[in-house]
Amino acid sequence: MKEVSVLLLCLSLVGGKAAGLGPPGKPTLINCRSPEKETFTCWWKPGSDGGLPTTYALYYVKDNSDTLYECPDYQTEGENSCFFNKYETSVWVNYNITVVATNEKGRTFSDPVDVDVAYIVQPHTPENVSVTVMEDNGWPFLRVSWESPHKADIRSGWITLIYELRSKMEGEDEWEENYPGQQKTFNIFSVRSGRTYLVEVRCRPDHGLWSDWSPTTTIKVPQYFLGERYLWILIFVFSSLVILILIWIIYMNSQSLKRCILPPIPGPKIKGFDHQHIKNGDYKDCFSTLMIPEFPPTSSLDHDNLLVEIFVRDEQEASTEEEGKDLQENYCKSESSMFDSDSGHGSCDSHILLIDKSKWTDNEEAISNRDVVKPEISQNSRAERPSSYHSSPDACDGRVKTWPSLFSPAPPYTSSAIPQKSSLERMKQHCYSDSLFAPISSDKEKHKKEAKRELQASQSDVFDNVFLTPFSSTQYVEVQKVCSNDTVLLQPVVELNRRHAEAEGCSCVVGQGEDYSKVKGVDGGNMVLLESGGNGAGMEMDCFCDKMEERRSCLANVKTHKNVSMQIAVQQAQGEQRQMVDNCYVDTATMFSVPMC
Amino acid sequence: MILQETSLEDTDMDRSKGRKLFMTVLCLVAVSGALPIADLLDRAAQHSDRLHSLSTLLTQEMDTHFPFMEQGTTPQPSQCHTSTLEGPTDKVQALQVSEHTLMSLLRSLLQSWAEPLAFLSASANTLPHPAHSSIFNKIQQLQQNSKSLRHGLDILSARMGPAAQVVSILPFYRNDPGDKISKLINLQFQLNCFRRDSDKIDSFLKVLRCRSGRMRPDLC
Repeated sequence: MKEVSVLLLCLSLVGGKAAGLGPPGKPTLINCRSPEKETFTCWWKPGSDGGLPTTYALYYVKDNSDTLYECPDYQTEGENSCFFNKYETSVWVNYNITVVATNEKGRTFSDPVDVDVAYIVQPHTPENVSVTVMEDNGWPFLRVSWESPHKADIRSGWITLIYELRSKMEGEDEWEENYPGQQKTFNIFSVRSGRTYLVEVRCRPDHGLWSDWSPTTTIKVPQYFLGERYLWILIFVFSSLVILILIWIIYMNSQSLKRCILPPIPGPKIKGFDHQHIKNGDYKDCFSTLMIPEFPPTSSLDHDNLLVEIFVRDEQEASTEEEGKDLQENYCKSESSMFDSDSGHGSCDSHILLIDKSKWTDNEEAISNRDVVKPEISQNSRAERPSSYHSSPDACDGRVKTWPSLFSPAPPYTSSAIPQKSSLERMKQHCYSDSLFAPISSDKEKHKKEAKRELQASQSDVFDNVFLTPFSSTQYVEVQKVCSNDTVLLQPVVELNRRHAEAEGCSCVVGQGEDYSKVKGVDGGNMVLLESGGNGAGMEMDCFCDKMEERRSCLANVKTHKNVSMQIAVQQAQGEQRQMVDNCYVDTATMFSVPMC
Repeated sequence: MILQETSLEDTDMDRSKGRKLFMTVLCLVAVSGALPIADLLDRAAQHSDRLHSLSTLLTQEMDTHFPFMEQGTTPQPSQCHTSTLEGPTDKVQALQVSEHTLMSLLRSLLQSWAEPLAFLSASANTLPHPAHSSIFNKIQQLQQNSKSLRHGLDILSARMGPAAQVVSILPFYRNDPGDKISKLINLQFQLNCFRRDSDKIDSFLKVLRCRSGRMRPDLC
């Protein structure tokens, strides 16, 4: 029996333990805080309750006595708290506090904690935080003001509070912190219009703990144009006034502005050809109008850039020429208007300058560019023009313009056919000599001779010793060089193209070389030495790097064309006997180095 | 703590200069009577504030190396040699006590710590503490600070009347335990006592400052 009862008791005890019943667990004191150094509160955390209803009690002992007191107030600060009112609170006195948990099964004591009120002061948050937007010379700023927590007695100096303020723009991550010290107002100046700002304030006693942050105060800064608005209005009005004045000025001076920006094409300053003179057959006088007494300066003229355009009409046009129009005209074209310091761009339409348009039948399509040398081919069969070659726009409608300035006071030049270097880049005024290569026929002999004579006559002022053999088609020959010894080196213009190619480096294909023949030179006699360029239709010149070879190959190509009959006067420049060749092709055997001036 | 930081940033030179200036000013002022007491008290309160910050730092530095001196085992303040000096222990009492009594109390406290600080500074030199040189340094500063404050309070009390002149200096018993650990513990205890007393001094001076400057809200 006894054993059974003991066994039952044991079992009940064991059963009780297995069910979790027992003395309570150890509570722990969390912290104690005093908001104003006059009262304080302690909180604890209970341990396990052992499964039974547990009560907690707080006991304390002040250091200057041994009396054990119990907590006077468990309610005011909530559950598991003990509130010491101001009558029970002493500062600079050590409180030894213990919490006891009690249940049916027993009691448990927490660890004792020493508390001195002077070191646990943590005030409440500042109150009545207000933010207002104020203006300083047109710029907004925020004025933040607040009050101390109402419980803290600052007036008597019992507590001295120091404040901290933090602010940020809505959307930012970082707070900007400021320390106003003991003041209760603060100004925030770095404020942008139209943004929302958040402000928080907290405080602490001079040797205590920081309070919590006050609830966030938000403020939106209005679009602050007050100060700026007047400025914008002023700027707007002023700028509109300025614009109006400018428009008015422009309007008033519109005519002169037009004149300045888009200058009209000046008329020709040269008298050009007098058609009356031409009609009268007075060729000398005709050309005299083209001369300017003081030009060109003798020493400095760039002979190389003169291109003398000489053309000889073929028999087809000879009839039209019968009227006495000049057989030979010198056309000078200005390469590009922009370089032309002298006026003369507008001489396109000058009737004085231009020879009868009717003479130039199918040139129009050939002339598209400015730089061109128009190969004019008298024969109508030549529909194609070497269009790849640059045509001068000045040639408008197939006319070539002359610039007499190149001709006038120059020492008489003999036109010698000499290939000309690519002068297009250099000098702007070229005189292209247009050589008309007319098919040779017996009929034309007479014309040719006439042409010769006429040429000579007409050019007596300008060119001495210009001799052109009549050719079957018109061609442009350009002056490559004006030699001081009265020689003009002429070169068919197609050469230019090739020269271009040469400059660029190496091979070139000239599609239109057919109309040009290279004038090798003009010998002391009245001979124009021409290198046979391509006189055949559609001949191509293959150019190679080697100049000599070029020439030869050109000539070789030329030779292949049999269908063009031209007469080329070829003469070896260096004194070989002149050879008048009555066929269009130059005999390659007789083609030679360029005569050097 | 801002005040602690500012006091730490002070160099010795600045402090001694400031102190000398303070003393000169106080002397002149005491003679001329031009400076109002409120400003003198303000200046004294700043001194005591710095003093308290220093002593708090010092005790924290001691505690970091010897965490066994926890709060539970800290000797009771009643064991401090100044515990016999009765003073107000709450606000009500503090506001009731007259200025002279307060001033007298303050001066007694400060005076009572003059000798122990000197003793502690001497013993700190040979402390078995890893940061003993820094501790020694701080105790030196404590000494100088309390000295200058003492002088200031002397001048102040001279302006306040004979009742403020009563100073009671409490005896300090040098207990010089043989072993070094006990020395350490004793030092720590003494510094804690001083820390508490400096807080008292600071609080009372601020009360006095606020009380004397009724027309100047910036003082309170």
